[in-house]
Amino acid sequence: MVETSQGSGPASLRRVRLIASHTLAEALRLRLSVLLGLAGAMLVLMALWLRDFNFGATELKFIGDFGLGAIGLLGTLLAALGTAHLFFSDIGSGAIGCVLTRPVRRGEYIAGKLAGMMALLALFVAALALVLAVMIALREAQLGASFGPLPVFLQACALVWLKVSLVAAMTLLVCSYAGSALFASCAGLLLAVIAHLRPFTSADGWLVFVRLWPNLGLFDIEPWLAGGGLTTAGLLGLVGYWAVFILLLGGLASYVFKHREF
Amino acid sequence: MTPATTDIPAVELRGFGKSYRLGWSGGFIPAVQALSLRLAPGQVLGLLGPNGSGKSTTLKALAGLIAPSAGHSLIMGHAAGTDAARALVGYLPESACFAPHQTGREYLRYCAGLSLLPADKAAPRVEAVLASAGLGSVADRKMATYSKGMLQRLGLAQAIVHEPAVVLLDEPVSGLDPEGRLALVKLIRDLAAQGRTVVFSSHLLAQAEEICDRIAILGQGRLLAEGTPAELLGPDRRSAAGPSALEKLYLEKLRG
Repeated sequence: MVETSQGSGPASLRRVRLIASHTLAEALRLRLSVLLGLAGAMLVLMALWLRDFNFGATELKFIGDFGLGAIGLLGTLLAALGTAHLFFSDIGSGAIGCVLTRPVRRGEYIAGKLAGMMALLALFVAALALVLAVMIALREAQLGASFGPLPVFLQACALVWLKVSLVAAMTLLVCSYAGSALFASCAGLLLAVIAHLRPFTSADGWLVFVRLWPNLGLFDIEPWLAGGGLTTAGLLGLVGYWAVFILLLGGLASYVFKHREF
Repeated sequence: MTPATTDIPAVELRGFGKSYRLGWSGGFIPAVQALSLRLAPGQVLGLLGPNGSGKSTTLKALAGLIAPSAGHSLIMGHAAGTDAARALVGYLPESACFAPHQTGREYLRYCAGLSLLPADKAAPRVEAVLASAGLGSVADRKMATYSKGMLQRLGLAQAIVHEPAVVLLDEPVSGLDPEGRLALVKLIRDLAAQGRTVVFSSHLLAQAEEICDRIAILGQGRLLAEGTPAELLGPDRRSAAGPSALEKLYLEKLRG
């Protein structure tokens, strides 16, 4: 018979870690991950051919902006589509029944799924950032110019990851009550769009509800650079903002999922 | 962990009912109504009935995957779905399809980990259930290469890897060839011999009659008949030819 310690913190963490690693293993085998990874690498490399359309920016800055934008865009797609696919494949296959009838709490399942997706997104961003960094380094050598300090590039990549992992959390919230992967993917993407609408809202406008939603615009590196770069306090503030919304979205998803029947 | 005692039923349904909502328009359709059953530890219960009779709903309620609309579903005295009840239950869903890229051994280790089997116990336990399920020789093959029978046996293995007191099996022999069916029936018999309580749903009356201590016949969400095979069928259980006594009773109850 199982020796129960299901309520204790270490036991709970162990289950979350198991579900997360299982989710990551599943996610790495998704055709979607491979396809978006390849598309991302191609898009990043395409910056070289598109550098003539640089809107007046220096070539290296254009390549950096274009590459980071591509990583963010495809990362958002992977966050929404991948999260929905992985969640609903568990439901469709009946495998979720084998997990939730064990002493696994619904919140642990949600936390494990989110952690697994965040790990996938971290690998995705890191792999594409590496391609971009190599490309920038090669062009720097050819042009004899400098893109900028490495920490700023790393900060920009970290901000992209924070942003796309929030999209995964938003999609997971939809998954917790939605009936299909298609609906959850579309709704997840729509919520990501809404999270970019903050500049268009005013306190008395009809879009005021957007102010309750995470502001993904905060994770764009450009405004920070214009203000002299991201300070340690600024970075910590952003991480704190991200952590609060990850906990809120994850907690809300767990609450809704707790009442779901299979 | 609550020890299994003889005065606490291993499985109990008290006036259990479950209704499903019919879309946004409102209205509910009853899947199971006023079902009451008690099963002592170590007994095997067969839930028999046609499609839509409420067998899977009953098993899901006992597994804690759905909440009762009425009444109670209890495992060893604990409300189904609570941490305590789930620690005592092993569940095989109908037509479960596990992660195809994983090997059978990897999947069972994952399940053992989720059930918090200590690491030193998990490895030998996984090997033991692989052997008892007859999957030892294919344990390192990807599940995508498994036959339907192998997947069903793996499904049963994941349900018992943590040595649960109560094993719930939803249509465990459906879609299996005669050989696979016999292997699974033997596994259920072995579980009963180990003192585990088994509740399974099936359409196969002959095998239910053979391995069950108790049989419950459901129809349109209601309990039509329940008891031991001897109580239900009397001493003359098998006729030389034609339908068995259980088949006759089953058809008689369903036709009202």
